[in-house]
Amino acid sequence: MDAATEIRPNARPAGPDLAERMLLQYEVEQFLYAEAALLDARQYREWLGLLADDIHYWMPIRRTVTLSDLDLEFTKPGAMAYFDDDRGMLEMRVKKLEAGSAWSEDPPSRSRHFVSNVRILEVAEGEITVEVAFHLYRTRLNTEVGGWVGRRVDRLRRVEGGFRLAMRHIFLDQTVIPTTNMSTLF
Amino acid sequence: MADGTQPIEAAWAADAIRALFDPKTGWLDRRVHSDAALYQLELERIFARGWNFMCHESQLPNVGDYFINYIGEDQVICVRGEDGAINVLLNTCRHRGNALCRAEQGRAKSFVCSYHGWNYGLDGRLIGVPGQSTYYRGDLDRSRLGLVKAAKVESYLGFYFATMAGDAPSLHDYLGDVGRTGLGMVCANGDVEVVDGIQKNVIDCNWKIAVDNLFDWYHVAYSHASAGAAGIFDPAAILHPKDQMVMLGDYGQAIGGPGLRKAEQAKIDRMSDAARAAYARSSESLFPRVRPAMARELMGPEGVRSMGHPNIFPNLWITLGGSQMCLRLPRGPSATELWWFTVVPKDMPAPLRQTVIRAATHLFGPAGLLEQDDGENWSQSTRAASGFSSRKVGAALLMGLGHDEVSVGENGQRSIEGLVGEHAQRWFYRSWTEWVAARDWAELEATRSPPPTGAV
Repeated sequence: MDAATEIRPNARPAGPDLAERMLLQYEVEQFLYAEAALLDARQYREWLGLLADDIHYWMPIRRTVTLSDLDLEFTKPGAMAYFDDDRGMLEMRVKKLEAGSAWSEDPPSRSRHFVSNVRILEVAEGEITVEVAFHLYRTRLNTEVGGWVGRRVDRLRRVEGGFRLAMRHIFLDQTVIPTTNMSTLF
Repeated sequence: MADGTQPIEAAWAADAIRALFDPKTGWLDRRVHSDAALYQLELERIFARGWNFMCHESQLPNVGDYFINYIGEDQVICVRGEDGAINVLLNTCRHRGNALCRAEQGRAKSFVCSYHGWNYGLDGRLIGVPGQSTYYRGDLDRSRLGLVKAAKVESYLGFYFATMAGDAPSLHDYLGDVGRTGLGMVCANGDVEVVDGIQKNVIDCNWKIAVDNLFDWYHVAYSHASAGAAGIFDPAAILHPKDQMVMLGDYGQAIGGPGLRKAEQAKIDRMSDAARAAYARSSESLFPRVRPAMARELMGPEGVRSMGHPNIFPNLWITLGGSQMCLRLPRGPSATELWWFTVVPKDMPAPLRQTVIRAATHLFGPAGLLEQDDGENWSQSTRAASGFSSRKVGAALLMGLGHDEVSVGENGQRSIEGLVGEHAQRWFYRSWTEWVAARDWAELEATRSPPPTGAV
């Protein structure tokens, strides 16, 4: 799901009635905010607990292209990416952060995950596909300021007691990454 | 004539430049990492003069396919022309200098300037000027206003390089045995293609700190300890600090890192390719080190033992046993753009190809578990080089100096074998001083040091 999804401001979604949709919207937003808060609070183990075993966490490479070459804008699945992780790989990232020798995060970065423009795209078989706009602000050391902005397509799976994150596809608005690294989780 | 060809007097005299690194003691003057005048000389005397990596032929399969790259800070368009050749054109309109091409890559029929509409063919010829007969009254010689082309464009094993210096030696001679061994490493498992997607990020460090780090197998255990702890790589299987093999070549070419012992390679040389493949899969340590028989042709009888990191001078690093290449593009004295190219054999089976691509994503690039920890070391080393007092504290490239010897192997291939050390870093900076001190190719050829022999 790398192309922009169809945007229809006045469409009346089929399915549940307005009150149900509002409730679902609220549930989804509260989950996403809490999940973001865990990352900002550096509670990475707890964050891992929110991931489904079969999660795909992916950030393709975006390129500056002309309008006539927009099909080349993002790399496709299986090609190069910045992140192309399964659960095992994300656990490794957290293990690295916890190792006591992850120098790029010691002193730790200060991050703020802003999540907005939450739109539920699809509700099917216990899974909710939701698109958000995000701004991940990061500052570290004394004067390092950076961050990443983009669109995210998440899939939340309903489980007992809440949601698990089953997919996170991250589409940056930046092409050349303006930061020394991306040692922060999105 | 106001055509930009008048020489600008160098703020640094040749002797002062040569004194910035002392090969006898291994001390480096840290102004090389911060001085703005030296940086300007680098653009002129290293990047515009030397051979710069542009692209691999697989990136531009069709006529009109283009990829933007740089020679120093000069943006160039690498484009497959109507005749099938790859042209390298300065991305600056001959009218007022605007960039013709503002995308990173794509497909073009011609390049039209967005300012006044001057139109250039894929070979750089100026084919259209709005108002040529009216406003210019026919008084404009289009034949003299084509895009400026790289003086030479040549390829080796499908990798295209360009230089702005017409008197540069051929790419073959510039690479020399060591550079060709390095590129040979990339193709040692068969003809390759570049995987779609070049990772790019900016680090606020001097480009040379990124380059000297690639030879540095001393930092891995400490800088990358957390990646080892996370389990993504096994330092013991990769590092081999007591079995290092450094190769130093003309013009600053170098390969540094572990090497197989000669006896081990002799054992491999007797195996069939099938037996080698099975042996390679038997351990993480062996996987990229055991190469098929054809690799000997590309890397030489000694070079084939290398599991180190080649650098094609000045700024192209080859890593992961030849499956990634990283360009370090200068962006001022204290910023560097890193571009990661991932390269796989064309006939690699799909599952293995996926494994290689995943490994590249997970280890290197800005989010890579190894690469994450490098940038801040480099940026803080660069930053400190700007301080008046800190920059007077030299950088100590002392390891192994005076303790080793260059051995001459089969086919005359030379290497320094033994403990982890800083021979390649010293060679890089020594060559750098000679490149920057010399005003032109003739002077560089007359004054440069040959690669060391004997005791080092």
